[in-house]
Amino acid sequence: MSRFRRRRQGEVNIQTEDVDYKDLDFLKQFIGETGKIVPARISGASAKFQRKLTTEINRARFLALLPYTDQHK
Amino acid sequence: MRHYEVVFLVHPDQSDQVPGMIERYQSLIERGEGKVHRTEDWGRRQLAFTVSKIHKAHYILMNIEAGQETLDELESSFRFNDAVIRYLIIRRKKPETGRSRIYEEELREQEKDKERDRRREEELAARRRDNSNADSEANAAEESAE
Repeated sequence: MSRFRRRRQGEVNIQTEDVDYKDLDFLKQFIGETGKIVPARISGASAKFQRKLTTEINRARFLALLPYTDQHK
Repeated sequence: MRHYEVVFLVHPDQSDQVPGMIERYQSLIERGEGKVHRTEDWGRRQLAFTVSKIHKAHYILMNIEAGQETLDELESSFRFNDAVIRYLIIRRKKPETGRSRIYEEELREQEKDKERDRRREEELAARRRDNSNADSEANAAEESAE
């Protein structure tokens, strides 16, 4: 039995348009409680979408808009 | 000429220099025959983690069209300006002109702040009016007692 539920694509709000590092509320759906990026096998994101997501989350992280981890400070 | 998106973080103590900095960079870009398509001042924001022992920073976003030389100049001016904590320059395919999500949020916050200030002021004014009314009533009562 798998510990993680694989979400189907339709369940998460996956935009086909551009992912943007300035859209924090959207990006927050794809980071877990610890601040890590949720793996595609769990979020159900396609490989293409996951790649975009990663770049945009990392941009937001560099600008200190999103945390890298929950252990900061 | 290419389109770029520039975000830079200014030290909160140097926040009052921001308008001057924006103007300086704007003139620098225009001197290089570039264009500034969008400027957004996100104000002082809480950082998700401390950067060089700072908890807050002033964010500025600019969408520009510039040549390599101008961009290099801009980047070096960021690098040698101690007030700039971090900067991010990314290439964009086209000029962005609409408001970004963060800016809209910031504007909404400002609107809320203004609303709150106005309500507070109204309350104060109302209270002052009540007080003065009460005073005059008290005075009238005293006078009639005499």
